[in-house]
Amino acid sequence: MNTEALIEQLAKDVRPVPRHARLSRLALGILAGGAVTLALITLVLGVRPDLTIAMRGAAFWMKWAYTASLGAGALAMTIRLAQPEAVRLSRFWPIAIPFGLLALVGAVEMSRVPAADWLAMWLGATWKVCPWLVLMLSAPIFAGLLWSFRRLAPTRLRAAGAAAGFTAGAWAATLYCLHCPEVSAIFVLTWYTLGILLAAGSGALLGPRMLRW
Amino acid sequence: MRETEYRLKDLMIGGLGGDADAHAALLRALLPVLRAFYRRRLGDDGEIEDLVQETLIAVHTRRASYDRDRPFTAWLYSIARYKMIDHLRRVGRHLPIDDVGDMLASEGFEESSNAHIDVGRLLGALPAKQAGAIRRTWIEGMSTAEAADAGGIGESDVKVSVHRGLKSLAARIRGQRR
Repeated sequence: MNTEALIEQLAKDVRPVPRHARLSRLALGILAGGAVTLALITLVLGVRPDLTIAMRGAAFWMKWAYTASLGAGALAMTIRLAQPEAVRLSRFWPIAIPFGLLALVGAVEMSRVPAADWLAMWLGATWKVCPWLVLMLSAPIFAGLLWSFRRLAPTRLRAAGAAAGFTAGAWAATLYCLHCPEVSAIFVLTWYTLGILLAAGSGALLGPRMLRW
Repeated sequence: MRETEYRLKDLMIGGLGGDADAHAALLRALLPVLRAFYRRRLGDDGEIEDLVQETLIAVHTRRASYDRDRPFTAWLYSIARYKMIDHLRRVGRHLPIDDVGDMLASEGFEESSNAHIDVGRLLGALPAKQAGAIRRTWIEGMSTAEAADAGGIGESDVKVSVHRGLKSLAARIRGQRR
């Protein structure tokens, strides 16, 4: 096709783009995927029966504070990597802060119980399934973000894929708190984080193929 | 340079507001810019025009990724550079540019090399082999094989020299900014 004809054709389809289109598109992808994840949790896994009681305790909010702050940090990374301009990845170091804080909470917690109980506290009742459930639950949100990226312009596909996977994993973990009965900080620190990192790793593997444009 | 930025950015913002004429004018105004960009880096005319068209389509379909508070030309050149790297990968020409594009972009190499910095002077500060390899592959537009012949060295030597040379150039520019 000749270039002039191409320009004429493109100029026929000029819908206004609102100022925060980039953000709203990413938010929409996450919300749509999150709705699917939430449906899976309520319909397949089941919301924990004592949720209203648990929400009065500190453990529940500690988990949410951890996963939601990771989710917010990961989303900031994703937003930045959805733009074509170069960025130094080292700028994203603050994402490690929630991990550090939760590690402190975990250390305090361990100092308060006898060493003999540490293993039980660390493994809880669900350590074998927790990371895998978080990974699986992250898939719909990751798919939503792939849709968002179709109008955005990531140029570092592996990093963008990892950030999208990280975001999906952290928000999936946040929703998974509605089901998960575990209470200890070192459980969350290990197994939730592992699940989120599995999601980020999958994103890094898929990114170069699925985000290409 | 500065004038181009303002003019193009105005048109872009008009197009984002839904003004089809501004958008068409933007795409037309991008033609010489993009042709020059690719001509400096690639040889073949058909190849250049294909990339120009692909870039126009990307500018159109992915315009939501542009942040109105940032320079337009930086956004544009990032897309153009991405399209070029993607193209070179697709046709299987293995240039050592994996991260070089990003590296140069992050150092503001595009603007700098156009406006402020004398490339010859910069290259003069590098070892002759590296400077030669960069001049041939990036400025004169030779392929790695041609550059290897011209320099009388191996192909992998050309790649390594370009990579090291660009790295130390980037470090040098970063040093000047500080």
